[in-house]
Amino acid sequence: MKKYTLKRLLTSLFTLLAILLVLFILMQLMPGSPFNDEKLNDDQRAALYAKYGLDQPVLVQFFRYVGNMLKGDYGVSYNISKNTPISQLIQTRLPISIGIGGAAVTLGAIMGLIFGLVAALKHDTFWDTLATVVSVIGVSVPSYVFALGLSYVLGFRAQWFPMLYNAQLATQSSVLPSVALSMFTMASIARFTRTEMLEVLDSDYMLLAESKGISGPALIFRHALRNALIPIVTVLAPLIVDLMTGSLVVEKIFAIPGVGSLLVNAIQSNDYNVVISLSFIYSAMYIGIMLVVDILYGIIDPRIRLAKEGD
Amino acid sequence: MKKLLSLVLALTMVLSLGVVAMADGGSDLNVMVETPVMSLDPQIATDGTSFEVIADYTDGLTQMDAEGGAIPAIAESWDISDDGTVYTFHLREDAVWSNGEPVTAADFVFGWQRAVDPANASEYSYMLSDIGQVVNAAEIIAGEKDVSELGVKAVDDKTLEVTLNVPVSYFLSLMYFPTYYPVNQAFFESVSDTFGTSPETVLSNGAFVLDSYEPAATAFHLTKNPDYYDADKIQLPGLNYQVIQDSQQALMSFQTGALDTVLVGGEQVEQVQDDPQFLTVGAGYLWYVSPNIKDVPELANQNIRMALTYAINRADIAESVLMDGSIPTYTAVPLQFATGPDGSDFSEDQTLFADYCADDADKAAEYWAAGLEELGIDSLELDMIVDADDEPQKVAPVLKEQWETALPGLTVNLTIEPKKQRVEDMQNGDFQLGLTRWGPDYADPMTYLGMWVTDNSNNYGFWSSEEYDAIIDECTTGELCTDAEGRWARLYDAEELVMADAVIFPLYTKANAEMISSAVTGIEHHPCALNRVFKNAVKEG
Repeated sequence: MKKYTLKRLLTSLFTLLAILLVLFILMQLMPGSPFNDEKLNDDQRAALYAKYGLDQPVLVQFFRYVGNMLKGDYGVSYNISKNTPISQLIQTRLPISIGIGGAAVTLGAIMGLIFGLVAALKHDTFWDTLATVVSVIGVSVPSYVFALGLSYVLGFRAQWFPMLYNAQLATQSSVLPSVALSMFTMASIARFTRTEMLEVLDSDYMLLAESKGISGPALIFRHALRNALIPIVTVLAPLIVDLMTGSLVVEKIFAIPGVGSLLVNAIQSNDYNVVISLSFIYSAMYIGIMLVVDILYGIIDPRIRLAKEGD
Repeated sequence: MKKLLSLVLALTMVLSLGVVAMADGGSDLNVMVETPVMSLDPQIATDGTSFEVIADYTDGLTQMDAEGGAIPAIAESWDISDDGTVYTFHLREDAVWSNGEPVTAADFVFGWQRAVDPANASEYSYMLSDIGQVVNAAEIIAGEKDVSELGVKAVDDKTLEVTLNVPVSYFLSLMYFPTYYPVNQAFFESVSDTFGTSPETVLSNGAFVLDSYEPAATAFHLTKNPDYYDADKIQLPGLNYQVIQDSQQALMSFQTGALDTVLVGGEQVEQVQDDPQFLTVGAGYLWYVSPNIKDVPELANQNIRMALTYAINRADIAESVLMDGSIPTYTAVPLQFATGPDGSDFSEDQTLFADYCADDADKAAEYWAAGLEELGIDSLELDMIVDADDEPQKVAPVLKEQWETALPGLTVNLTIEPKKQRVEDMQNGDFQLGLTRWGPDYADPMTYLGMWVTDNSNNYGFWSSEEYDAIIDECTTGELCTDAEGRWARLYDAEELVMADAVIFPLYTKANAEMISSAVTGIEHHPCALNRVFKNAVKEG
């Protein structure tokens, strides 16, 4: 297990470096430059290029960037917040996105599991149909529709929650965006749980467990749900990263100072360092969570752990 | 369960109300902006939001009055030499920075030197060189001279002397432009690279003090500056800024009372235009189409260009498509930003060039037939590049439709590009037609007319006229720069050349649709330099 984890860690580091290089090359291929404003003349543009070292070859820029990165320096923003260090730009925004995304995933996963379980256990009843309808709506309606709906009903009409993010009311402000974002997770998890549970409930070992006299919650949670969880964890992992890295549209609607809107603004204004740093952080989070999931498998399912140790 | 739920909800509401009341602290003005601040460094900032916020807490030598004129601020008086090239500003004794230091002439010298220092590569450095004509500014920007040679010097702590290459009639109104704002050198050096990134790293000498801000913040706050020399006249206890990009949310926030002033998107105008709190405000921008005259042989044909400009129905675009108060424009200089020596708007007479530009599909068809015949073709396909933003995306398809309907045989293809790419393509001449805009930097027609001189980087069509260049020279550095009336009249001659040759197809002068709470008065709107000034704003209750 140790050897396996170490191997995975090294591969991850190498992947991250490769991602960084690809990002650098992509930046070069992106149309336009950070300094294409109407009011800049050629001399000024050249001066800006020289100031930020953008006049040098890509590889030189790449190695200098990696070197600085190891020292914790991610460069400065060229446009969206001129000359501000990226680390400063991100440090207050990332926690907000992670907080709202984390709440959405937690809420979505719990609600999804409950819906899925109910649907599977009450198979072919009204409750099953209801859960299915809710899931279909959750998967097919985009989160911004929920966001606008919630904002109108609970924010504008009822005035229970702030319509716009307010740092002094961070918890209340996070409710509506988190709920809006959780819908997709909830629906996907509900569908998966239902399918997996139905399969597991039909299996021979459940029959065996039942005939051994195990019943009630122990049967459902220890024997059925645990087995059904493995594929669900696989679906959940990318959703976690997806939500924690901030949703552009929902951030825009609720005026949330998160990283999703930052990335899109940065891409539109060719703010190279912001795009590179954020994409890099996303990749690192994605790879990190995939690593955790891999290790989690082993805990949930001993068979996987044993097979890996045999490697 | 129900009881518990309602209890929790009730508690949440009570708590949030309490916090809201505490955070609000009376009657701050709650203001919406569309984009976050891009920089609080007055010499680096380039966008309207940044300029507005910097000006909330910084005063220049002069400030803007409600009509856009220059009135005393840090400078309480000034003398101008007889030849108009030497300005001596006398700074007020009671102007202080928020760290207690007095505002001195040296602060201005330091700020101005930063603006032209090539190491800072300030985008608006041309405000000092081409526009302000400060001695040696151009040479310093080009790296030929040292910043110490800039034509500005601190005679003593309270006297600033500025030397210009030639008289500049609007020089005093440049003094409220943030690029010309003072920076305290000792403070700047103490915060070095972090200047302008937090309330601790900026100094205020203006009506308000920044007390909550972080880079690219979506919400930030300013409080009234008790040490401001004019503090008695400032009625607002503070300014509460909120960045909102979604116009529906903005309007709803206005309706709940969370915001006192918001921008209204085109879709919502119909919904609110009868509300007494609705108003439209001139934004100064001219939107126009630039044909590539040099590289596209068909567009080099004068008749084809005349046909294209006559075929546009500007009134329809402004009234049925934009619906935000934008004004159809038939002149190369837009309306409502430049007031002449006689007090009238430079572009008030929109029929002045009716012989070259109007909404007239019949005339368009005549020119079109003549043009096609000269070229020996019976159909034409043109590409137009358009920004990927909301407004141009709305306008471009209408233009295409109007052109294709009025001009038989014409096909217009729209290419959508990110704005930065579109600008690059146009500057490189890599386009046929381009939908573009220009905002005035100062209240003089030259901010537009200066664009179409030979080889200017914003002369996208690469049009060139010796006669035009000569008139512009005459009015900027030549003999007319001391003769306000003569210069004004001569500028029309220049504009006529641009219109007669259909160098651009003007579309409309942009306006913004806004809601301003009936409890609020005194917000001053300007089409250039500072879009909004809140010093004289009052909020009832």
